[in-house]
Amino acid sequence: MIQKKVCILGAAGVGKTSLTAQFVYSKFSEKYLSSMGVKIDKKVVTVDETQVNLMIWDIHGEEKHKKITSSYLRGAAGILTVIDGTRPETIQTAHEILTRVHTDIGKIPNIFLCNKVDLTDAWDINPKQLDELKQYNNPIYNTSAKTGEHVEESFVQLTRMLIKP
Amino acid sequence: MTSQTLPQPLYQHIASHSIQQLEPAWLQLKKGSDCILQAGGAWQHYYPQQPQVGQKATELFDVLIGMLPIIEDFELPQIQLRDGQYTDIFALADKEHDWLLFCDVTQNTLQLQQYQQVSNDLILLKAQMKQTLHRYVGHEISERITQGEMQLDAAGERKTIATLFVDIRGFTPFNERHDAQVVMQTLNDYMHCMLPSILQHHGMVDKIMGDGVMAVYGVLASKTDCCFNALHSAEQMIQAVYTLNQQRLSQGLEQLGIGVGIASGEAVLGILGSHERRTFTAIGRHVNLAARLESNARVGEILIDQATYQALNQPQTFTPVTLTLKGIGQTDIFSQTLPCISN
Repeated sequence: MIQKKVCILGAAGVGKTSLTAQFVYSKFSEKYLSSMGVKIDKKVVTVDETQVNLMIWDIHGEEKHKKITSSYLRGAAGILTVIDGTRPETIQTAHEILTRVHTDIGKIPNIFLCNKVDLTDAWDINPKQLDELKQYNNPIYNTSAKTGEHVEESFVQLTRMLIKP
Repeated sequence: MTSQTLPQPLYQHIASHSIQQLEPAWLQLKKGSDCILQAGGAWQHYYPQQPQVGQKATELFDVLIGMLPIIEDFELPQIQLRDGQYTDIFALADKEHDWLLFCDVTQNTLQLQQYQQVSNDLILLKAQMKQTLHRYVGHEISERITQGEMQLDAAGERKTIATLFVDIRGFTPFNERHDAQVVMQTLNDYMHCMLPSILQHHGMVDKIMGDGVMAVYGVLASKTDCCFNALHSAEQMIQAVYTLNQQRLSQGLEQLGIGVGIASGEAVLGILGSHERRTFTAIGRHVNLAARLESNARVGEILIDQATYQALNQPQTFTPVTLTLKGIGQTDIFSQTLPCISN
């Protein structure tokens, strides 16, 4: 079976662990627990009759004084860059992370996940900010780790990009 | 530090204490591969069985897939090999062999996690409060407050400002005729189209009182005079309500008009209330006048006081009117009416 390592990246509190838990275990918890280091989860994804064993590296949130260690990215085939749709400042963190990924391991398939779309009243991303993301020509999904909206689709889409570049 | 800088017994004490805490386990790998030549240390902390000679390290630990063979030394900090257990993995190469060293850092990591949790909770709380503040006072002022550049002073600050009151005409009978849910939705629709006009012209929403809004101009920095900002807000607001009314007409819904009153002058800006519940407000003679003007304005009408008329350089679109205002008496004011209801 094909094996692929993907990293889920983003600022602290954007919902990386919740998205992974929703995708792998179909679970969601309202309680926020800050992640340390790396936790690896696995799930077999079938794309066009091809089975792929996705190894998902849920990496701690990028912070001003705690950058993501570049060795975590080694061997990654693709990334999911998560943004908190209720905190536009997390877009800037996404830009910084992507710049570092490109420097450290080169351009690899990426998908943007604008998470917490269930929080409609608090949603705070405007079209101009969305346009800045579009410049990367990477797919953008509005996701909800809580309801599961677009979670499965986004992981499957990334898998498709990994096996059929 | 080496044994040469510390007496041997002390060096050995520190080294053995530190090593004991880390519960190290190691793998010696065939040079340039992931094949295990030797294994040693406290493996029970990291893996159910002792790794065997000839096994592949990548088959034992998923975390190593894509990492081997070791091209250059690297470190993988705080890897959760088991739930709640954190391991630092070091990959080192010498001339003859490659090495993997596993060290248990659970205790330190859990301590750090507690600090990080508090820090991240604060970041999320700050963002939430900023967003709430943003909705009340606009993006610019909320940014200045959260960055500590501006304080809402309880003692009050004197400033020349323009105050705008706007109210939906005929809303009380509308309220009586419709279900509360419909009333709430309608109010939200009108507020949604009126409030951006205030924020876009450097106004600050002071209060929302049912179907009425009080806004102040001149609190936030602006290159434009506060009276012009207030007038432009009012004009844009009426235009926005006109557009909303066109939509409502096409949906067979009742149209509602708005009336606006603007007055300007010196006011004291500050915090009113008790320790438990406080609110930002503007107090001044002209504030009351603006409220009275609004209550006299008809659908689509903007009424302004003398001071505002002068500050606007006597705009020709306004016509003079004399009104008797409750609690104020006969007052010379100026009026402009714009289309607000769609035919």
